[in-house]
Amino acid sequence: MLALVGEPVDPSERSITLSREQQAGLALAFERTMGRAPTDAELDARIGQWVREEVLYREALRLGLDRGDPVVRRRLASKMDELASAEVETAAVSDDVLSRWLQDHPGRFAEGERFTFSHSYYPDEDALHSALDGDGREEGFPISLPPRMDGASYEEVKAVFGSKFAARIARMKPTRSAQLQSGFGWHLVDLEERTRGRARPLGDMRERVEADWRSSTAAARREKAFDLLHKAYTVDIE
Amino acid sequence: MRYLLALGSAGLLLASCSDGAPGEATEAQQGDGTDTVELAEFPDRPYWGDTHLHTDVSVDAFGFGVRLGPEEALRFARGEEVTATTGMKAQLDRPLDFLVIADHSDAMGATRRLYDAPRMMVRDPTLRRWYDMMHESPEQSTRAVAELITAAANNEIPEAFRDPERQAAATRELWDRHLDVLDRYNEPGRFTAFAGFEWTLMPGGNNLHRVVMFRDGSARTRQVLPFPGIGTTVVQLWDYMDAYEETTGGRALAIPHNSNLSNGMMFELTGPDGGAMTAQYARRRTAREPVVEATQIKGDSETHPFLSPNDEFAGFGVEGWDLGNLPLTARSTPDMYAGSYVRSALLRGLTLEEQLGVNPYAFGLVGSTDSHTALATGDEDNFFGKHTGNEPSENRALTSQNLGTRQGRFGWHYLAGGYAAAWARGNTRAEIFDAFLRHEVYATTGPRMVVRLFAGFDFSEEDWDGDWVRAGYTRGVPMGGELEDTGRAPIFLISALKDPDGANLDRVQVVKGWVDASGAAQEKVYDVAWSEREMDGASDSLVPPVGDTVDRAKATYENSIGAAQLRATWTDPDYRRGQRAFYYVRVIEIPTPSWVLYDAVRFGLKLPANVVEANVMRERAYSSPVWLRPKSRPQIGDAPPIMEGE
Repeated sequence: MLALVGEPVDPSERSITLSREQQAGLALAFERTMGRAPTDAELDARIGQWVREEVLYREALRLGLDRGDPVVRRRLASKMDELASAEVETAAVSDDVLSRWLQDHPGRFAEGERFTFSHSYYPDEDALHSALDGDGREEGFPISLPPRMDGASYEEVKAVFGSKFAARIARMKPTRSAQLQSGFGWHLVDLEERTRGRARPLGDMRERVEADWRSSTAAARREKAFDLLHKAYTVDIE
Repeated sequence: MRYLLALGSAGLLLASCSDGAPGEATEAQQGDGTDTVELAEFPDRPYWGDTHLHTDVSVDAFGFGVRLGPEEALRFARGEEVTATTGMKAQLDRPLDFLVIADHSDAMGATRRLYDAPRMMVRDPTLRRWYDMMHESPEQSTRAVAELITAAANNEIPEAFRDPERQAAATRELWDRHLDVLDRYNEPGRFTAFAGFEWTLMPGGNNLHRVVMFRDGSARTRQVLPFPGIGTTVVQLWDYMDAYEETTGGRALAIPHNSNLSNGMMFELTGPDGGAMTAQYARRRTAREPVVEATQIKGDSETHPFLSPNDEFAGFGVEGWDLGNLPLTARSTPDMYAGSYVRSALLRGLTLEEQLGVNPYAFGLVGSTDSHTALATGDEDNFFGKHTGNEPSENRALTSQNLGTRQGRFGWHYLAGGYAAAWARGNTRAEIFDAFLRHEVYATTGPRMVVRLFAGFDFSEEDWDGDWVRAGYTRGVPMGGELEDTGRAPIFLISALKDPDGANLDRVQVVKGWVDASGAAQEKVYDVAWSEREMDGASDSLVPPVGDTVDRAKATYENSIGAAQLRATWTDPDYRRGQRAFYYVRVIEIPTPSWVLYDAVRFGLKLPANVVEANVMRERAYSSPVWLRPKSRPQIGDAPPIMEGE
């Protein structure tokens, strides 16, 4: 027994109270598992077990058994993380909050710009120039690309024509016969229309905005809470 | 502080009780996508995806260290930036269109649960040792998983780990949550999230793994649990899939992978019991497994130089992997190769069809990653590793890797992974799944080349001047289809576009396999289109090499050689009436640096000369085949899934 003496005992720590609510909780847990209410004897046994655990738990803390245990350490650390984000993960979120989120992060949800254009293709710059000089190949050369994109998003243009082409067209005003390079060669592009990214109303995509708000906010809160605590420490990695 | 913690757990309780009104998926997101988006008349573009991604739910991936789950995997695949387990920011330059998360069904989530358990609760001595190793260090954790894979291969997994009854409750909770996440990220027309799992049968370490992919949303997939691999057979897996379809009205298919690590067992000439293959087995196999994953991080399974000695481009992604089975518990011998590679399997299919009347190996081809990092990266300059133990770091390329340590497999043998392209009319679960069912899919080793293949009997050069795609669909069949012999040579319209942000194309080839008059299987590779170059006057049958612009020291290349696009109208010059044959297209890029050379630049590594040369690579695409069948024979399309047991 001598070995089990830890830190000095605070008398208040030596009193254990099991409230009526806690007892009801134990009874409920029993009922959930067994599908019926516990008898008095069964409830007594549960209570006895709870008290036993509580005594051992408190004594374990007194002995410092929670220290140096990687499982306890990680469990408590993740509880702290959860604590910081729990509110966000469960809170019902109002339309106001989501509308503001939508306003603050238009790039994530905006329909994005839409481009409508047609093009003719030339394998290289020389072919393009001689076509412009009237060599009879004004129609361009055959290529297995859609000759026309109707209301395509930036991502779609990029997927089909490549990043360079998409970046160029994103800086253009509607125009005829613009000379653009792509991953395939050169193009004469008639950009007929580009429509500004219209912010879709919240009602159209509440789920998406909410999921984004939830995960971004939870992560941000966790990091913020951690930063606050972290600042109070001097960390010396030798 | 105690007060705060109490609050925390109250919050947790709430989280598990609130029946998730927040963040619930809409009806359109929960279904198979039918009637949610406008469909094109014909499949108008390839949709890009990965059908084989592992997250922290996978027993080995978690042990290898990954701490990203399905949600991060989905966010990453649809183009968002995430933080990889090892702390680096990771993002795809171009998002994917679809994703199948395929965590191992065996012991789903079990390593995570083991890891989180109190040590004294772990009673099994083996599990306790793994537990300690997992907590000790990342290196030890990786070693524990290597032991686990070997134990699985030898059927020595501790009872507590594989008992399906014990796992069921835990798996149910995990699976239900997972299906909800998938529905939330499934956005018809924008991004498709498929439910799936990996069935990991590995008798004696020989890889017979399949990815199972569901067409349906959670209302149907919730009615089943992933089917365990350990202690089951492939026929039982098909029974499970039949039962799923019968009870839910949904659809499922299975995609075999890493046949290169099966020591000849993936594509056997016999039935699974070693006896003669039955027509019923063949019919079930071809109906249940319409697509095979031909290329991925753990090597490429198209063909082996031993099998295709006259194919100068055979042997891509073979080195290291052809030494033996997955955990290298058994070496490979050349007589096993024919059962391990897809081209020889397609040939075996023709031979078996002559005998059985049905082709068990009439499958299409896709590529995927098999990444265990939750990050579906397929590009050489953005390779996040096979698993968390080889996320980008200075020594990942040259160290021997966990499976087959010190036996000749090194980090640099890993490929950066492939992708699957599906020709579909829209981006929904139903449209993409159905493209897989009709084999209208193709594999690439990562680059997003656009490959079209149509076969018919009356195509001509003039078709290119008009709407040749319409011509292809209305007067012929697309890749994955079949032609009935008409007594005339089949003609093919073939178009290949380079990846708009990638390397130029060297050439387009047709790989033909057939059964000759004596009943012997034959194969031949035809060059059908190539970029302009000085032809060697001596022989017109041999196309000279395209050249090589790779700067080994800088990991760069120039598109000064090769072509942006190659097209061909090709008629089979060796056609014989009544011949049973398949034709698939292989597109070869100009030489480019692999991830290993990019790593060498990033980390200032000095690589041995042989490693440098092995990492100047020829990336490629494999189309699904078109089959030519003798007149009035049973066709694969006729075979409905067989429901009765074997």
